[in-house]
Amino acid sequence: MKAPISWLKEYVDINVDIDTLCEKMVAIGLEIEEVCYLGENVTNTVVGQILSIEQHPNADKLVVCQVDVKTSKIQIVTNSKTVKVGDKVPVALSGANLATGQHITAGPLRGVHSDGMFCGPEELGITKDYYPNGDVDGVLVLRESAVVGQDVRKEVGIDDYVIDVCVTSNRPDCNSVYGIAREIAVALGKKVKPLDVSYTEEDGDIAQYVDVEVTAPDLCPAYFMHAVKNVKIQESPLWMTSRLAKIGLHGISNMVDVTNYVLMEVGQPMHAFDESDLCDKTIIVRRANEGETIIPLDGKEYKLTNKNLVIADKTRPVGLAGIMGGANSGIKPQTELVVFEAAKFAHDNIRHSSRDLGLRSDSSARFEKGVDVYSVQLGLDRALHLVQQLGCGTIVKGRIAKVDEKPFNQTIAFNYSRIKQLLGIEIDKRTVKKILNSLNVEVEYKGKEIVCTVPPYRTDLVRYCDIIEEIIRVYGYDNISGTMLENSHITFGGKNQKDLFVDNCHGILTGMRYNQCIFYPFGGKGLYDKLSLNGYDMSHNIKLLNPLGEELSAMRTTMCADILQCASLNHKRKNLDLKLYEYGAIYLAKSLPLEELPDEKKGISMFASGETVNFDSFKCDVLTLLDGFVQKVHLERSKVEFLHPGISADVFVDGKYVGFFGKVHPTICKNFGLAVDGYVAQLDFDTLYTLKNDKFKYQTFAKYPPVDRDFALVMSEDVLAQDVLDEIKNVCSLCEYAQLFDVYRHESLGANNKSLAITVRFRDNTKTLKDTEIEEQVSVCLKALKDKFGAVLRS
Amino acid sequence: MKQQIENIKQEFAQELQNATSVANLQELRVKYVGKSGVVTGLLRQIKDVAPQDRASVGNMINDLRKGVEVQLAETEEKFAQVELENKLKAEQIDISLLNGQQWGTRHPIDKVKDEIIDLFKGIGFEVCEGPELETDYYNFQALNIPLEHPSRDMQDTFYINDNILLRTQTSAMQARLMEKKGPPIKMLCPGKVFRADSDASHSPVFHQIEGLVVDTDITLRDLKGTLEYVAQRLFDEQTQVRFRPSYFPFTEPSVEVDLTCCNCHGKGCSLCKGTGWIEVLGAGMVNPFVLENCGIDSNKYTGYAFGFGIERMAMIKYGIPDIRLFFENDIRFLKQFKK
Repeated sequence: MKAPISWLKEYVDINVDIDTLCEKMVAIGLEIEEVCYLGENVTNTVVGQILSIEQHPNADKLVVCQVDVKTSKIQIVTNSKTVKVGDKVPVALSGANLATGQHITAGPLRGVHSDGMFCGPEELGITKDYYPNGDVDGVLVLRESAVVGQDVRKEVGIDDYVIDVCVTSNRPDCNSVYGIAREIAVALGKKVKPLDVSYTEEDGDIAQYVDVEVTAPDLCPAYFMHAVKNVKIQESPLWMTSRLAKIGLHGISNMVDVTNYVLMEVGQPMHAFDESDLCDKTIIVRRANEGETIIPLDGKEYKLTNKNLVIADKTRPVGLAGIMGGANSGIKPQTELVVFEAAKFAHDNIRHSSRDLGLRSDSSARFEKGVDVYSVQLGLDRALHLVQQLGCGTIVKGRIAKVDEKPFNQTIAFNYSRIKQLLGIEIDKRTVKKILNSLNVEVEYKGKEIVCTVPPYRTDLVRYCDIIEEIIRVYGYDNISGTMLENSHITFGGKNQKDLFVDNCHGILTGMRYNQCIFYPFGGKGLYDKLSLNGYDMSHNIKLLNPLGEELSAMRTTMCADILQCASLNHKRKNLDLKLYEYGAIYLAKSLPLEELPDEKKGISMFASGETVNFDSFKCDVLTLLDGFVQKVHLERSKVEFLHPGISADVFVDGKYVGFFGKVHPTICKNFGLAVDGYVAQLDFDTLYTLKNDKFKYQTFAKYPPVDRDFALVMSEDVLAQDVLDEIKNVCSLCEYAQLFDVYRHESLGANNKSLAITVRFRDNTKTLKDTEIEEQVSVCLKALKDKFGAVLRS
Repeated sequence: MKQQIENIKQEFAQELQNATSVANLQELRVKYVGKSGVVTGLLRQIKDVAPQDRASVGNMINDLRKGVEVQLAETEEKFAQVELENKLKAEQIDISLLNGQQWGTRHPIDKVKDEIIDLFKGIGFEVCEGPELETDYYNFQALNIPLEHPSRDMQDTFYINDNILLRTQTSAMQARLMEKKGPPIKMLCPGKVFRADSDASHSPVFHQIEGLVVDTDITLRDLKGTLEYVAQRLFDEQTQVRFRPSYFPFTEPSVEVDLTCCNCHGKGCSLCKGTGWIEVLGAGMVNPFVLENCGIDSNKYTGYAFGFGIERMAMIKYGIPDIRLFFENDIRFLKQFKK
């Protein structure tokens, strides 16, 4: 909400500078968005009077003027042919800045010295709303009354500040100049002057001109009309248009300006109808018929539904309620009889209509925020006062009032001790009363109770806590000093076991030199398609109804796209040595369209690339992380589409699938634009966490010595080493462990064969092993490996 | 004979001095005290000595043997020491060849989040996370924001359908917590939140930490004290907390919380736009409507709630100029946030 200081000063005596004022406003809850000095861009420009005009010796189109600027006589060269000796004009002196961005310096113009420049309205940043002839093209001739030598900003009305207040949504009453003045008065400890709403009804009877029927009282709880006859449509006085201009409106004509003025000053939207356009002298406030159309004052046609509220006459809509009047019934230069409308419309209906139709106005914005029923008549009264003050017509006797909701004074009573209960400080009763009275809240103390009567425009004050907030915001939050929950009960702080384990994982990953990333958990088909060889199936993704763009429109069901995209960004910036991870969620709908909240499954994704990274090193990192959860994992060749089919693995724990890792498929590398080979993993944290075995007991370890035997076994490349090791452990009852220590490949082994070097440790926990027992185990083992994998001892 | 023993002694001393290696010593050992060495030779000659001198000559020979053995052992130890030193010297390498491996880093958002959590853990706050996809009820209605409430406009909400949305605030966890767990409550809920807004200071995804305390005798002073405790540990001891009136439907009174600028300590600088204060969070006393809605007696219990914007805290703490840097994850950005 914008408000010029000069306008506010009509209602409250502001006797502090602008900075202090803003500070005090902020302290009571009026956040200042911006303070703008209207004359900021016009400096060193004064009122001058032309003493003489002579032809420029070297230029036909220029004249040389001697000008009195009070402190001295100066010479100005100008191309203006309209100025006359004796005229008072704005003179930009050397060093002046103008609203057009010009900087003025003294110097010769075609050989004749000029001390500055005469200014027009554009250079001063004003229009005809500010000053007579403010639309002139060329030099602005000032009023006779202008004081020579004075700063021109004072003369043209731009020596003023406009403050833009960010009004919180609970305070619609502050969306007006008067509402802000009311708050400033509280902040400065002053009394606000009352709005002048006096007027005299002079003639006639409203019933002669219009009859009103409200068929949708649910959407229109209060509707008033008052008529003005013998209307003379003309321009409004400058004091009115300049105030409107300062907050971004233009003077149109007196009757329209009055409605705008009341909107800004009182916060009540109004509309003025030309009575002669109302068919059958009738106004009906009704829901629109399906498909009905209207052309409002913006000139475009809108097709309506029965959700929209219209103001209609007998035959057609003449206005979109609360949003904009119809072009068919607006004020025209020849209008003689005006009916003013002041109403309260349901804010949600206006909001929906305004959005659905794509049509907003100052009125609709105000209605959306909520207009209190008290201000409706106040606004109408103020408008009639202004009509009389401006002398633009005769006020007709009588007012039509269709009222479903009446203004009332809410009473709030509560135990006085509540103030201390909530704030923690004691404020004496006199101070509380004084504060509340300054807000027009009446106070009565009855025993332990405080009874507050709230003014009708403060619809936000409903409960004791609302009143307590009023007290403390005026009393001052700086009077609150901190305490540390001295009277609260002891509670047990900290993270739960699962979150603590997450921290553990962060520690393992960062210890392995992985850097944590955070991504948006939504993306678009463009991104996910990169992760697929034949287009990503988006049918499982939860979609946003109103995304910022297609690229951020679906909740992710994989973590890999984001980390690969991140790797790609880094590769493009020549950051090739990467170790990245994310701890985040994927979003799995139980059914689509979504009926209940989806599973937000936590997972870990990892990515590595660079000279030292290969499958073995990456696998080692992944298994090290997994070792934090479980002792034993089982790997199978991965079926994940975006991984290299031969250099990737799916991970199983106790037969449950918990994720995958491997080298990124070359086609996918290309899709993402990875500059070098990359390795990616995704692990299902939630499932792994459930498989984590924390319950263990101490086990005695063997006293008897082990016997180690090494084997070199030749087999096909298709055989997985892990399967061989598992088989050894399976068939050898005395095998403590079997581990791989070398892989050898050579043509002498035969095509597509490899040799695995394996150490097997045998031990009997009950006695020292004999050679014969070991030989027996070895032969069982070798036979099994031969039968199952075709593996034979290397000769 | 005695003269012969003296000569041998000197001869040995001479040869020992000339020895340069453990191998030389071994040769000497064989020569003098070996099975057929010099000492053995002397012992064989003892039969030729006059009987009355035999005992003293025998003693001399034994002394000679002991002396030789002790000296050999001492010298051997010396040689071993020298040889070890030489070996160590020879094994010396260029220790500057490989650079130390830097640890990976936590993302600055998580780093600041954990710092804040650690502070609250110490004063009894339990940490819990809630769903990012939330119902309209918990995100709005339970927080005194009914359908059509004008304050819904304060937050541009991403909807999935009429009923399910991406939570716009971690406050959505307030009612879930209060329903599940009666007072006393001291809770901290960190997490992602979503708003349809995107520029240098707004991201459609960002992170908040919600704090909620509900108990008997909780006052606005406790809110201020708690925030002072956290701010002074997160920034520095001199940090002050200022409340300004504001409005949130779920707290009453509601305040915006400013901290003295950590850059200029209140003098005014570019970070705080000359005001000396930085707005960091919104807070207030829990609206009794919210308490009652969750079945908590608002006559008996009061509470406070606050919501930190984590990115904002991190931007202030580390001087990060653009919120988008957090989500771009350039490794050169990430690596700056060491342990």
